[in-house]
Amino acid sequence: MKKLYFVMALVIVASMILTACGASAPTEADCSKAEVFCVGLVSDVGKVNDKSFNQSAWEGVQKSKTDGVADVVQFIETADAKDYAKNIGTFADAGYDVIVTVGFGLGEATVAAAATYPNVKFIGVDQFQAAETPGVTGLNFPEDQAGFLVGALGAMMSKSHKIGAVCGTDVVPPVWRYGEGYKAGAAYADGLNGTTTEVFVVYHSDVGFDKTFTDPEWGAQTAKSMMDQGADAVFGCGGLTGNGAITAAAQAGAFAIGVDADQFLTLPEAASRMLSSAMKLITPGVADLIAAAKDGSIKAGNFNGKAGYAPYHDLDSSVPAEVKTAMEKINTGLLDGSVTTGVAPAKP
Amino acid sequence: MDWKRFSFIALIIIVLFGVVVMIGQVKQPPLLIVTSMLATTIAVATPLTLGALSGVFCERAGVVNIGIEGMMLTAAFFGWLGGIYMYHIFGFTPAVSIALGVFFAVLTGGLMSLLHAVLSITFKVDQIIGGTVINILAVGLTGFLNRQLFFGKGSVFGGSVPGSPGVLPTIHVPLTELFTSICGSSAACLQNVQAINRVFDQKPIAISAILLVFLSHYILFNTRWGLRTRAVGEHPKAADTVGINVVKMRYANVIIGGMFAGLAGAYFTIESVPSFEPLLTNGRGFISLAAMIFGNWTPIGAWAAALVFGASQAMLINMQIYRDVIPPAWSFLQESYIVGLTPYILTMIILTGIIGKTTPPAADGVPYEK
Amino acid sequence: MQSEKQSNSPIKKLLQSISDASLVPFLAILTAVVIGGIIIKLVGGDPFLAYKGLLQGAFGSKKALSETAVWATPYIFAGLAVALAFKGGLFNIGAEGQLAVGAVFSALIGYALPEWLGFDLPVYIHLPLAIFVGMLTGGIWAGIVGALKAYTGGHEVINTIMMNYIALNTTSFLLNGIMKDRSPTNVIARTPLIAESARMPEIFDGLRIHWGFVLALLVAFFIWWLLNKTTLGFEIRTVGLNPDAAQYAGINVKRTIILTMMLSGALAGLAGSIEVTGLNYRHELGFSIGYGYDAIAIALLGKSHPLGIVLAAFLFAAMRNGATRMQFLTQLPVDLISMIQALILLFVAADAIVRYIYRIKSKGERVVLTRGWGG
Repeated sequence: MKKLYFVMALVIVASMILTACGASAPTEADCSKAEVFCVGLVSDVGKVNDKSFNQSAWEGVQKSKTDGVADVVQFIETADAKDYAKNIGTFADAGYDVIVTVGFGLGEATVAAAATYPNVKFIGVDQFQAAETPGVTGLNFPEDQAGFLVGALGAMMSKSHKIGAVCGTDVVPPVWRYGEGYKAGAAYADGLNGTTTEVFVVYHSDVGFDKTFTDPEWGAQTAKSMMDQGADAVFGCGGLTGNGAITAAAQAGAFAIGVDADQFLTLPEAASRMLSSAMKLITPGVADLIAAAKDGSIKAGNFNGKAGYAPYHDLDSSVPAEVKTAMEKINTGLLDGSVTTGVAPAKP
Repeated sequence: MDWKRFSFIALIIIVLFGVVVMIGQVKQPPLLIVTSMLATTIAVATPLTLGALSGVFCERAGVVNIGIEGMMLTAAFFGWLGGIYMYHIFGFTPAVSIALGVFFAVLTGGLMSLLHAVLSITFKVDQIIGGTVINILAVGLTGFLNRQLFFGKGSVFGGSVPGSPGVLPTIHVPLTELFTSICGSSAACLQNVQAINRVFDQKPIAISAILLVFLSHYILFNTRWGLRTRAVGEHPKAADTVGINVVKMRYANVIIGGMFAGLAGAYFTIESVPSFEPLLTNGRGFISLAAMIFGNWTPIGAWAAALVFGASQAMLINMQIYRDVIPPAWSFLQESYIVGLTPYILTMIILTGIIGKTTPPAADGVPYEK
Repeated sequence: MQSEKQSNSPIKKLLQSISDASLVPFLAILTAVVIGGIIIKLVGGDPFLAYKGLLQGAFGSKKALSETAVWATPYIFAGLAVALAFKGGLFNIGAEGQLAVGAVFSALIGYALPEWLGFDLPVYIHLPLAIFVGMLTGGIWAGIVGALKAYTGGHEVINTIMMNYIALNTTSFLLNGIMKDRSPTNVIARTPLIAESARMPEIFDGLRIHWGFVLALLVAFFIWWLLNKTTLGFEIRTVGLNPDAAQYAGINVKRTIILTMMLSGALAGLAGSIEVTGLNYRHELGFSIGYGYDAIAIALLGKSHPLGIVLAAFLFAAMRNGATRMQFLTQLPVDLISMIQALILLFVAADAIVRYIYRIKSKGERVVLTRGWGG
């Protein structure tokens, strides 16, 4: 009896190993051929369905496929920081033409990989290039401007003249720029209208680094606490933590302000109270750069993506006309440089 | 009653609140700060209380349960998923879907704890290892399903996460309405009443958590069931000789405990925020465990300890809100990493036994062999 | 003691004992892999392609092998840390925190010591010093818990969990504050690069495998020797089996508990230290998260035996490392690996299930690894 089972087990193992070695790989197109244009995405420690940052980048890559630019698109989610180089290398060794690396954490690994694989174009989302590296294009966004816009909007719309922001850790420069931009925007709106708005900005810096963006419950409690103290508009900036804050704000009937994408579309739970979102247009930015890489017009160095604010959607009728005009004015001012946010690129 | 322990806990909470009031009063009236902090404290304490109750039932019956974290996480996932399925696939109304979601969460908690019971009682696996297995399994299972069910065109919902049916409603206690006539035309009075009212306006799971604390206390210390449970956890041999079925009692209590953890899971995705994110419990199951020990394996003690954790989180949030008005002498309060250590250090101090001896049930963690 | 008297060839006996000890873990792995395959199939994936990717990614090339060894290195150290505590009757869930503390202070010595001294140190002083400080701080971090256990009875499970939180918050504080790399291009919470003299030399050009891996194997042997051939090892094991009996036998139980915890913490600290000096050359928030928890599974799978741990560490390393290629081929999420690992652990811990499935008779003895809160 015992022997029989043991033999069975061995047979199973042997058959698995044999089939494993014998099977051809149907999903792996031949990316080393020149005519097949392949794009790979390496996420930072995070998922490509995070409803936020990584997802927007992955959607940009997918867009390049539906646009007919890329033939094959694949992603690898990084599970541990020590795998950065290996994950990038997996695509490069398979002959991928463009590799998108998402997040400031991958910056160094991307630059290093560019030296090893000179024939591959690298697009680094949120990776500021202090020095130009051939083959690497950093896609950066003026998050402070996006934060500035929604900060001004929140201040103009608030009846209690108290607004809040619940963010991930300020250690991450884009998050810091959102949060500080939000403050600056509210102050700017106060200057326009002669109001005094109190701005609560809370960064989730009280836990280990791995939890700061993935704690919706903390985000919700923090947002509630702000609303208990009178805040009637809450900006959630920081992945899932921010999503928690936005949803809690919407449930309590306060104005909810989203981040990164137009979260009216990605957070159905909060859509009815979604005033606007501070947007950085990652998806089109990534897709545009991939297209540029294909036709050869991509340049190494920094590429500035667009930031802005999302439409008011359901709340359009409750936003007064003068606020709308003021917002458009601020937006043009930021674009032509006549309005500045005064926010440093990273926490000093 | 363990007065030393409870006074210590009360003192900590008062200090935590006091610090915030002292710093924040330049910006907000103290009453508003206190009520806001109370509301936060109660909400934050809800899953911790339920998790700690889960531990109390398991361990009073002699089964160590460090798998609370994993039970909460799976319950949060399947409760949320169940709600979505009921709403989108079976077409129930949101209210029914939400209620069924809570049911699925509690059921999931029960099933996970059944696994723990089978491992630790029937197979006599080391109980701490059984709990570790549950924690690791929960992370893998929820992360994997959360991806496979919602990602990619072939998935059930066509590649996106559908809107959930919503969250449990807030139960309004009509204090404001009651006091409107008493306050008369005084706006300040009305404002204060409204602020206080916010503390009482809680959601169903938060309210039931508090009720369950007292119910559990009654069951454990005033009923036959409770006596038997404690007998099985303290001295299973003796319990067996007087005719108590040790294995059955342990199974029952572990499953009851798992259902508490399941309700805690429902809190995250059905009461607080209507969405699931991988790892969303973020170690709160372990904090529950600490609260249980902090409270010396009693329901009321565990609740008090959970309130301490809630209060320290309320303080942390408020310290950041009032970051700009913290006086220079108190500037260390701006260092949220350091202030964030408070509950952990307190737990370790409690464990030293300085504030009353913490005594686990005598047969806690020991498999019963006839 | 008695083995010398027996006439059986010692090699044959060794082989017999290895095959006895490894049969259940082997079948547990097999069962988990089969169940994992069924799950992949159920969600519409291709299990053979997934496992092919896993194998290729872990062993398919020189680079893959090197990466597997890189992954295995901290796993071996941290697994030994947990196992040593198990032997002493203690459950160290705190390897995670001890590892982080060890890494931070190793990095501090690595980058700051030459500045403080004002001159460069030779590698044979600087490198061992950096590693030693990492071990020392990890040991102290765990030693606190050991002392609390010995003198107040505070249970090490809760205290190590608390110490994990404290360690992660403290390291975040340091890496964001005084230890942050102040060079103008840096925006990340991380230390500066450690000096060349504190770095471990590479073994092969172009591959990331480093001498830390060799050290890990040596340390595994050392721990086996320590546990089985020294008085201290005997004391640790005796206290682990029965502290009361140990007391009667004249062993200083309190001292042994503290020492066991310190040694365990030193091993975990060493894991962090080696990651800094051998691989990353700095410490950064987000590195080495979760190794302390994986280490528990590795220690269990390896049955707390150093050789078993080396093998278990390799298995886990291969799975973690191969996951990249598996993802690349099938786009299945990494969480799948966690699930298979949990199943392996489940079947190893509850070996009765495996014995039942494959109809293997139990040899009778049941290894007690931990004890309840009472201690």
